[in-house]
Amino acid sequence: MSRRGLVGIGVAILALAALPWVRQAFDLPIFLLAFGTLVLSWTALATSWNILSGYSGYFSFGHGGFYGVGVYTTAVLTGRHGWDFLATVPLAGAVAAVLGLLVGLVAFRLRSLRGEVFALLTLAVPFIVAPIARLNPSIDGGQGITVPVPDIPEPLSTFQDLSYLLVLAIAGIAVIGAYVAQRARLGWALFAIRDAEGVAEGLGVPTFRSKMVAIAVTSFIAGMAGSVAAIQVGYVTVEGTFNLQVPLFVIVMSVLGGRLHWLGPAVGALFIVTLRDRLATSGFEGFSLIVLGAILVLFVVLAPEGLVPRMRRRPIPVLIAFVVVFAGLWLSGQREDPVDWLALALLAAALVAFLPGIRRRGTEAALEPVGPEAADGEAIQAAEVLPIEPTRASVPAVGAPIVVATGVTKHFGGVRALDGVSLTVHEGELLGLVGPNGSGKTTLVNLLSGLFRPTSGTVIVRGVDIGRLAPHRIAHVGVARTYQIPRPFASMTVRDNVAMGILFGRSPGGLAAARRGAEEHLAMVGMAELADALPGEINLHERQLLEMARALATRPRVLLLDEALAGLNPVEVDNAVAVVRRIHASGVAIVLVEHLLRVVNQLATRIVVLDHGRVLAQGEPASVMADPAVIGAYLGRRAGEGSVGKRVEEEAPGA
Amino acid sequence: MIFVQSALTGVLVGGLYALMAIGMSLTWGMLRVINLAHFGLILLSAYLTYELATNAGLDPLLTLVVTVPVMFLIGAAIQWGYQRFGVSELGSLLVSFGLLIIGIQLISNAWSADFRRIPGDLNPYATGSLTIGPLVFPMPTLIASVAAGGLVVLIHLVLARTFVGRALRAFAEDPAIASAFGIDHRQLGILLAGAAGATGAVAGTLFAIGGSLTPSTAFEWFGVVFAVVILGGIGNVLGTLLAGALVGGIAGVMTVAWSSVAAPVVVYSLVVLALLFRPNGLLPRRGGHG
Amino acid sequence: MLELRGVDVYHGEAQAIWGLELDVAQGEIVSIVGPNGAGKTTLVHAIAGMLPVRRGSVRIGGSNVAGQPAHRVCRTGVAIVPEGRRIFPGMTVADNLDLGAYRRDARSSRGASLSWVHSLFPRLRERADQLAGSLSGGEQQMLAIGRALMARPRLLLMDEPSLGLAPIVVDGVFDVIGEINRAGVSVLLVEQNVERALEISSRGYVLSEGRISMSGAAAELLANAELRRTVLGIA
Repeated sequence: MSRRGLVGIGVAILALAALPWVRQAFDLPIFLLAFGTLVLSWTALATSWNILSGYSGYFSFGHGGFYGVGVYTTAVLTGRHGWDFLATVPLAGAVAAVLGLLVGLVAFRLRSLRGEVFALLTLAVPFIVAPIARLNPSIDGGQGITVPVPDIPEPLSTFQDLSYLLVLAIAGIAVIGAYVAQRARLGWALFAIRDAEGVAEGLGVPTFRSKMVAIAVTSFIAGMAGSVAAIQVGYVTVEGTFNLQVPLFVIVMSVLGGRLHWLGPAVGALFIVTLRDRLATSGFEGFSLIVLGAILVLFVVLAPEGLVPRMRRRPIPVLIAFVVVFAGLWLSGQREDPVDWLALALLAAALVAFLPGIRRRGTEAALEPVGPEAADGEAIQAAEVLPIEPTRASVPAVGAPIVVATGVTKHFGGVRALDGVSLTVHEGELLGLVGPNGSGKTTLVNLLSGLFRPTSGTVIVRGVDIGRLAPHRIAHVGVARTYQIPRPFASMTVRDNVAMGILFGRSPGGLAAARRGAEEHLAMVGMAELADALPGEINLHERQLLEMARALATRPRVLLLDEALAGLNPVEVDNAVAVVRRIHASGVAIVLVEHLLRVVNQLATRIVVLDHGRVLAQGEPASVMADPAVIGAYLGRRAGEGSVGKRVEEEAPGA
Repeated sequence: MIFVQSALTGVLVGGLYALMAIGMSLTWGMLRVINLAHFGLILLSAYLTYELATNAGLDPLLTLVVTVPVMFLIGAAIQWGYQRFGVSELGSLLVSFGLLIIGIQLISNAWSADFRRIPGDLNPYATGSLTIGPLVFPMPTLIASVAAGGLVVLIHLVLARTFVGRALRAFAEDPAIASAFGIDHRQLGILLAGAAGATGAVAGTLFAIGGSLTPSTAFEWFGVVFAVVILGGIGNVLGTLLAGALVGGIAGVMTVAWSSVAAPVVVYSLVVLALLFRPNGLLPRRGGHG
Repeated sequence: MLELRGVDVYHGEAQAIWGLELDVAQGEIVSIVGPNGAGKTTLVHAIAGMLPVRRGSVRIGGSNVAGQPAHRVCRTGVAIVPEGRRIFPGMTVADNLDLGAYRRDARSSRGASLSWVHSLFPRLRERADQLAGSLSGGEQQMLAIGRALMARPRLLLMDEPSLGLAPIVVDGVFDVIGEINRAGVSVLLVEQNVERALEISSRGYVLSEGRISMSGAAAELLANAELRRTVLGIA
């Protein structure tokens, strides 16, 4: 699949590379070559933008800055220092990449960087770079730079041929880069960042590094595109280089084509360049930006996924529409200009893609009951623990401590959410963590999973103090968690959600292996049938099971389940209980935060009761739930403290 | 002395920046909408003022009677659209970018890309100036900064003292609870966006009185206004005024000390630093508004 | 005053309340108790219009408000003291109280309401110009109650007013609830402090996993051992 795609792109690039010779052979107008150059150079810019901004969701307005730095690197070196043009192309990319890394270093270090703030920060890039170029006489100094025409290498005849082939090469690099990135760990990381960055980090994804790599790639390609643009323009000025045209166009193109697909920006570029060209030749130049603006507004509001995903949903009709219109116009001789044929054919294809009627088949498979037949690999273990009644015999023996929290305190502003909590989780334990609302349960889970850092105290997991680790490293120590409200990666299938956990886990393997492994974890939670569904297509209970499977995929030693049963109906609760048992039986220690005390009493080997941020009681479920202090916390009496001026009931607990 | 003069002039010019920024800051802070179309409203009202003053012979300041209600309506209509389609914060940034492009092109088609300026004989405010000792302040910037100051105080009082103002602040802090106390957030949002549009109208009209217009001017405002919004603290009215003065002052000093081109470098470096170290704005956060 | 018939409420697609039936008569204090996660807060939010009611009717003083947005429900004379207080932390105490009187019917009697609130909670008068976020937990709870009273409610929804408060403060809160009720305000009280809640109520409902599992006179419920089993989850 992946190999075939690369071969396809290679063939397409080679076919396009033949255009200069085809043009000569058939005596086509040179205008076609110029048109192709324009499409390809915007393809390079839009596709490179998309690798960072489309995949990760961090919209950059700084692309013009990276492009402009590329323009000026080549202009200064060839125009003022007599460098050979071709040597400056990779250098221009490198200089732009350095700028990109600088931007990333500032932006991605911001805590709680939101997409909008990133967009505005990058907006500042051209505003800072442009004046520097203008003021510095060794760069521009306000006069502009004349870029000499490079020598035309042997087999080529015209300057137009050279710039076409150069732009094709850079667009090829961009598209191949986007294609490979989408299939490699980098692309998976970026998509996960876009869908749920905090979850990705918690699953072991090095989010900072991924974003830095992406911004470096993005700006490198933009810089090279700028370098080639410099020789095309011939005379560069600050005003003509650092403006909002580049960011505007790349955003419109990517939004139009589709940001989640490697080909989206290329298709968008083809559409927009063709459209602008036709508007200009038919005397509607002044409406070009209006159409562009309208496309942006309409697609963001009404079709945010863009053209390519819609075309892929009905590829054959789209292709037929394109070919029929194109060939029809060509053969009928109605219109002379090939770009007309292209424009109308593209329009027809887009219309077909947007025709109402066909919907993607729903993957609403019924929830399979969890049973041994659903989980081949784990059948023997699972069978032992299937009954919902307590059968402690099948539970693994309690062993050495895995998690040791000592004197953990957490303040939020003036509020003391946790106050000196000490807690140990042992191998093989299923620890129930309960307490009234606001007692600090979720805060404790967030501390154990490294989402928060304790104000004081330490959390040691398997000998490692996680207070000093980045969250993605904590996943590698062996802690995994689920979230109260499931937070799946919405753009990935159920299988790929789970594969993420393997891909970035403690012993990452290849993609194929990760997908195979994901099937096993899905079987463990009884979701094998739904592997190809998208998270939006499954119900809440299934999403909660997906969270568990994804967490298991990191091969944790301890799994933190934060209210994994909230909002379920009784049948689903029973199913979830069976799954939790099965996970426990497979040798993973579990910390279960749960409101349904009935369930906790059934499942837990030990219970810890929190109240007002402190450990109120811990021990065997039966004895803990009979503790007067615990009953008091739940029923409102304070047997231990003796409430002020109120009678203290002496009555024995009712269970 | 030249430094004092240019710093003070810069501060006054900063008043105009603040005036441009207030509306954007309010809708961003309270409605979670980043409305780039605000620049389009400012530009459009500047051109309306130019048109009415030049061809209808209206006193330039009097054109506010037209620009303010028109921009109120456009601002409110755009907000209605955001609410109708449930556009997210980032989505609003993109959508309004599209709207801005459309607006600028329409203006360019209507008035061409040439520089336009209200003729001197029809613009009694363009040439006057106020002289205090050795210092000279041009009338248009003076009017703009006085208007900015006045509007800021007015908005501040409305937010602090009226039921509507309290409702807006409450809504910005906790929309669910605010609605449980009878606040209709859709209605209020449209009202606020309209008011923000009206502040843009004032900014546009005053800009037209003081300077020449070309459609791409809107892009030049981009950077400076965002700098003011972020430095002032998003949604913080008094902070916006202060940040406007600061940015204007820096730009003024940089212009004489080095070059007018250099000002953005300093201003943006300041923005980056502010985002890193004071993400809530330069003023200490107190009371959810300025 | 309040009459729920066959009410279903969802959180997104997860059903949280199943076919709920509940009544609060004029001048009554009625408690809803039950374990964590039973859906008590969901129910309060649904009555106030902050969450949509998928099926069934919610009648307040006779008119069905099911499906109406919160700001419309508010007009029928319902005020809420939400869980976790949710005062507006960046506004002053005085502004928080004034906001409570935003409802049109409450604006004219703002002065009288304010002196009633100040008489119940003298502390709020002292702290009028302080930011609400800087108050202590107990003071914030007073403010949340005061804000609701400023709306001149006929029906007061109170969600966990004792949560996270020191026992002595809890006593004060429950005393005030009684006082508010004696002034003619009907109260629907959601509490995990089961005994204290039932002590001041005339009737009570036990909510468990989104359904009413028991209901009756408060005194009977208090004496019922089954209640304890439900709350502690001992099957």
